[in-house]
Amino acid sequence: MQLFGQALISGLLLGSLYGTIAIGLTLTWGMLKVINLSHFSFAILAGYITYQLSITTGMNPFLTMLVTIPMFFLVGVLLQWFIEIFHIDEFMSLLVTFGLFIILESVMRWFWTADHRFIPSALNPYLGVSLWVGPFALPIPQLASFLAAVLISVLTMYILHRTYAGKALRALAQDREIAGAFGVNYRRSAMMLSGMAGAYAAIAGAFISMIYGVTPTAAIEWLPVIFAVVILGGLANAFGAFAAGLIIGVTDHVTSAVADAGIASLVTFVILILALLLKPEGLFARRVAE
Amino acid sequence: MKRLLLTNVMIVLMLVLTACGGAPAAPTEAMQATSAPAEPATEAPAAEGEPIRVGSTLSLTGPLAATGAIHKIVGEIFVEQLNAEGGLLGRPVEWILLDDESVPDKAAALYERLITEENVDLIIGPYGSGNITAAMQVAERYNMVFIHHTGSLTYAYTYKWHFPMWYTGLDTHKTTPDLLFDALDSTGTPPKTIGFVVNQFPGTMFMARGREGDGGAINVAKEHGYEVVLDVDFPFGTTDLSAIAAQVRDADPDFLYVSGLGVDGNTLITAMNALNYQPRGLFVQWPAPGPLAEAGEGAFSVTLFEAHEPYLSKSGAAELNEEFGKRATAAGMSYPVLDVQGAVSWATWQTLTAAVEATGGLEQEAIANWLLTNKVETIIGEMTFDPNNQNYGPDLQSIKQVQDGQWVVIYPAEFAAEGSSIVYSPCGTQVETC
Repeated sequence: MQLFGQALISGLLLGSLYGTIAIGLTLTWGMLKVINLSHFSFAILAGYITYQLSITTGMNPFLTMLVTIPMFFLVGVLLQWFIEIFHIDEFMSLLVTFGLFIILESVMRWFWTADHRFIPSALNPYLGVSLWVGPFALPIPQLASFLAAVLISVLTMYILHRTYAGKALRALAQDREIAGAFGVNYRRSAMMLSGMAGAYAAIAGAFISMIYGVTPTAAIEWLPVIFAVVILGGLANAFGAFAAGLIIGVTDHVTSAVADAGIASLVTFVILILALLLKPEGLFARRVAE
Repeated sequence: MKRLLLTNVMIVLMLVLTACGGAPAAPTEAMQATSAPAEPATEAPAAEGEPIRVGSTLSLTGPLAATGAIHKIVGEIFVEQLNAEGGLLGRPVEWILLDDESVPDKAAALYERLITEENVDLIIGPYGSGNITAAMQVAERYNMVFIHHTGSLTYAYTYKWHFPMWYTGLDTHKTTPDLLFDALDSTGTPPKTIGFVVNQFPGTMFMARGREGDGGAINVAKEHGYEVVLDVDFPFGTTDLSAIAAQVRDADPDFLYVSGLGVDGNTLITAMNALNYQPRGLFVQWPAPGPLAEAGEGAFSVTLFEAHEPYLSKSGAAELNEEFGKRATAAGMSYPVLDVQGAVSWATWQTLTAAVEATGGLEQEAIANWLLTNKVETIIGEMTFDPNNQNYGPDLQSIKQVQDGQWVVIYPAEFAAEGSSIVYSPCGTQVETC
């Protein structure tokens, strides 16, 4: 029972990190029609910058987000500006951002080499430290990652559903021309959303760096599972991405703990296929229609 | 206009990609002596004539790139020194190095290209069991001598002219765990229970489970009288081992055997620390040396060379260690110390050049026959290749342990670093209550 409980908790905590990465991807894909593969590279690059700031300045890795969040907000804005300038459509965005993905991997390898980079334990004091709830451990960095994911999904839902800018974005996602006729500025709204996605990548990258360390090829390792999360949660659905992340994280860890880690991915993707057969628009798609 | 501009941008992107990544068009490296070696021992006649072309691939990108970079530095040092000291057969050596991107199929295709298009005179193997296995098939097809650094799937290597420098013996799936457990037994307080965490990578599966019920660390542990209380696999590439860590904590073995590679050990240690659990003894099969030295005090592994005596007394070892350290530091490597990977790479080049010099030519059959009937003294020891044993010799490995943040050999005693001995107790730090 303790094993099951611990696996459940660790699955929820990992799933929230899936959610943090997936929210940025699902928003740009669903609302801007940009399938941004470089989103994964942004996260890993942010992880490297977290690492670099920590080792060169001794900055607490949590505080590095004060630098990386605005930096990657700007990166997201610039990416969307580029996409707008060149009228890059949905399919072309896949190719262009794939190119950027490869370029960034090479840049990271050139600058930091192919070595696995960990923030030294002296500068990463929370790694391996847990909050205990009875017999269950809640590792501090993972718990912080969970809280950040909750905050991000709530904030995103609030912006999209309760602010003029968010409502404008949703209107643009449904019909760009009609929304434009009502005075909605597509370019500005899209840049803001892309900037938000970049900022979320920065947050995810900081936690990846703190918890797992980074390598230039780490981006590719996250790609399949995050796409599964996005599809399961439904496009353009921040809450759906967060919830789907939790489902996949829990499925993976509970299967690993009580059955066999070797079949965890199999179980996860069987669930994904079943979910798509029964609800092809994504498990949480209804919230988008509201 | 913008469409045209976009097209141009795409072309530039592709060009940049080609320059940065695995471009198939041009060799990644073709190096000759561009600078003098650190300190040539004596003045040698200059190499002259048409270069001897040695072809190989390494994983310069992809998941194996961190270790591929070690082999690249060592190879460069060797070729530079060789050329500065008169070359091979009096001719300069040119190393045609391609990037296999850590992909076995790519490695096979590139060896095909090295042999048929680049017309190399000699080849040496790539890094990594998967790449070696793929490339060996190409070497066999063209009857090329194939000396390789690091292949661990010993049973699979049946090519008559393959020469393994990962000198672990044919039965490494028995001898490696046996050596470790002998070391633990030598403490007088061996573990009573043992747990296994196994990466589903072919080499690590072979080491843990053997083949068709034969050998493997799990069976060998039972032969040593240890009770196996945990046996769990995880897929290659898993980044979060929290669920596995919970299983380890529940099983609480006296000793934990991680048949993993790279940073698997670190990933598991982090997850176990979060559960406030420290294993009383930990072995990691093929770890990334730097990260585990930092986070895994007391962890064990296997080696063929470490940067201390008696290994540094081998001819050229101390100089190589110094030169490697400089270049690895300049390249930004996190562990700029010559260890088993670099030493085995050096031994590969030593063996190849020794055979060519001895036969006085580049004829493949003559080189192979010489290797099968002679001994080669290398930085990791004396190499012999027994054709009755799939060209394997004895297992030269020793056991190393992280002590005070450094890897030191602790078993057998003749290879142990001065003043070092095995540190292990099944009681962990709770000796009084054990």
